[in-house]
Amino acid sequence: MAAITPKSVALENKPVRSESQWETVLRRFARHRMAMISLFILVIIFGLSIFAPIITPFPRDQIDQSRRFFQPLTINPETGEMHWFGTDHLGRDYYTRLLYAARVSLTVAVTSTLLSTLIGLTLGMLAGYFGGWVDMIISRTLEFVATFPLLVILLILVAVLLDNENLIPIPGFVLNIIMAITSVDRIDNARVIAVVILTIALLFWTGTARLMRGMVLSVREQPFIESSRALGGSNLRIMTRHVFPNAFPPIIVDFTLGLNGILVLESSLSFLGFGIQDPIPTWGNMLNFAQSYAFQHPWMTLVAGLPILLTSLAINYVGDGLRDALDPKMKI
Amino acid sequence: MLASIVSYGLLYLAPGGPLLALQQQQQGGADRVTADDIARIKARFELDLYVPVRFMRWFVGLPKGSLTIGGQTFFADWEVGCAQEATSLTMLIYPDGREVLVQPGGCINPVTLAELADRRNTNGILFGDFGLSQQILRDRPVGELIESRLPYTLVLMGVSTLLTLLIAIPIGIYSAVRQYSIFDNIATGLAFIGTSLPTFFFGIILIIVFAVYFKDWGLPYLPPGGATANRDYIIPFFGLTEFRIDAGSFTDHILHFIMPCLVLTFVSIAAWSRFIRSSMLEVLRQDYVRTARAKGVRERLVILKHAFRNALIPFITLVASILPTLVAGAAITESVFNWPGLGRLLIDALNRSDYTVALALLYITLVLQLVGYLISDILYTVADPRIRLS
Repeated sequence: MAAITPKSVALENKPVRSESQWETVLRRFARHRMAMISLFILVIIFGLSIFAPIITPFPRDQIDQSRRFFQPLTINPETGEMHWFGTDHLGRDYYTRLLYAARVSLTVAVTSTLLSTLIGLTLGMLAGYFGGWVDMIISRTLEFVATFPLLVILLILVAVLLDNENLIPIPGFVLNIIMAITSVDRIDNARVIAVVILTIALLFWTGTARLMRGMVLSVREQPFIESSRALGGSNLRIMTRHVFPNAFPPIIVDFTLGLNGILVLESSLSFLGFGIQDPIPTWGNMLNFAQSYAFQHPWMTLVAGLPILLTSLAINYVGDGLRDALDPKMKI
Repeated sequence: MLASIVSYGLLYLAPGGPLLALQQQQQGGADRVTADDIARIKARFELDLYVPVRFMRWFVGLPKGSLTIGGQTFFADWEVGCAQEATSLTMLIYPDGREVLVQPGGCINPVTLAELADRRNTNGILFGDFGLSQQILRDRPVGELIESRLPYTLVLMGVSTLLTLLIAIPIGIYSAVRQYSIFDNIATGLAFIGTSLPTFFFGIILIIVFAVYFKDWGLPYLPPGGATANRDYIIPFFGLTEFRIDAGSFTDHILHFIMPCLVLTFVSIAAWSRFIRSSMLEVLRQDYVRTARAKGVRERLVILKHAFRNALIPFITLVASILPTLVAGAAITESVFNWPGLGRLLIDALNRSDYTVALALLYITLVLQLVGYLISDILYTVADPRIRLS
């Protein structure tokens, strides 16, 4: 075979710049103006939340009755300190709390989405690739989980699981990691966050699995899979080296949509007073408190709610840009 | 297809049992006073019964007591539960003189089947008896509670769904026909905001603008929440005139209804118009649409008759999926606006650990979900003759 490999002599002098698939995708993505702006915004939001302990001017839970309900951009007359986004009903600095809330909300959103995508990917892949009784079991489980209305079952499960703390044992090192990432100081608070993450992930994977199964089913019949099998490729090798890369692009888009969905879901959950509780700030429970004072201090809702809207919009735009960039039929 | 529906039916019955058990255990744990109290509370929530027995009583309302056939009583001594567990090695002396040694963790006060006859019995959730509410309306039937809330949710969901259909379909069609026009771009942008905007945030913003600021500015404002006002109130109309609204009147209801309805409608229009747009775009590329145009059918007819009817097929799933959202679909909106519907009932029930109510609502949702599947399957075969029920 090696004997007939042609040598591209003519091209050696002026090399043709060939780009890989991902370079193409990146180039196409960079052309989507809104997506690029959104990506920038997301990077800023993530950056701010990561560096929250360094850049926040006040301790997170510092209560001070003398400075309740300061409006945004108020300078505390006693100390001369600036409260960029004002203070809440207990005199805690809003800017500080928003950044810490971002840590919690984004951690929950990203981890749950990663987990649920992982579950969905694996199960969808197995179901699509093997078919038969594997597909049968996974598909029935999927339909069963998807039958439950998400918000209802989530509310019930979180309420039940939080009341029975020892129902799901969560290893200590996981809780330590969560404590470190979200800068939560008590282990039972970390457990609450872990429970919320797990519950969401365990309910959210069905869409990804369904998508992955469909993609794998169509890829499986392609000739290159057959040739790989003819060359003696094992199931594992075919799945990871051939099926997965070809079924992957829609999963990326699905991931961004899932991220947005879970972000809003978690916010709704804590907005309704379930899940993660004060004094641990999340965007949802901050908005919940802000709503109680909506009549006297309407700015509070804006300050607490705009980050959710901004992040959600940005994620959606990035998802949109990715979808366009990954779709070869789409002209940009 | 039908078989899968039945298998759903069988499958979803299972979680009621363990879920109920967990929730009731936790319920019982809340009041820890004396041994007597514990026994009484346990009996009240049927915690002293073994799980399968408790589940059967919740689900089909059986067993109700010992079996009596022709004056003879059977199975009266069957142990169906345990009211008190031994904490140490205990000697149990029966009335007939028998002595039994009970290990720690064993039962020293068994509940027999005959005792169940004196308990409050339900007919089982399967036959529409949801039992009694534990907290929200103490000891009132859950069914009554749901009945009182149902009209609010029905009106809210019904009107907003209708409005959504009326607005989203034309927007979707027009955006698809004039793809990338100014109208399409505006609609796309709005839809983007609509899908990103969390309903609770949107709701509060509306309250602040229309209820708080409009009132301050002397503009005609809307009531901030609830379904009716407690007192009569006066709404100014641009300084020209004033409207006196009687609490509980029809106008009062309408005014309270506007904002929650607006939130629900806006959010679903965003999603649905996108859906219709993409499915119309798909259809407009098909050959039969080109054929229809080529043979000189008027553009209007091509779009409405040839394209739209086929674009509707995937839309059926979406419409059928509204049904299960009846209970909790508007939960967030209802909580924001204090609207006394089923969604808020669910939130209240969970907040106050009233699990019979929560479970009843969950059960209703699941039934509605199955009905939704069934309806969408039937509609599919009606709309698309290529699909046959097998």
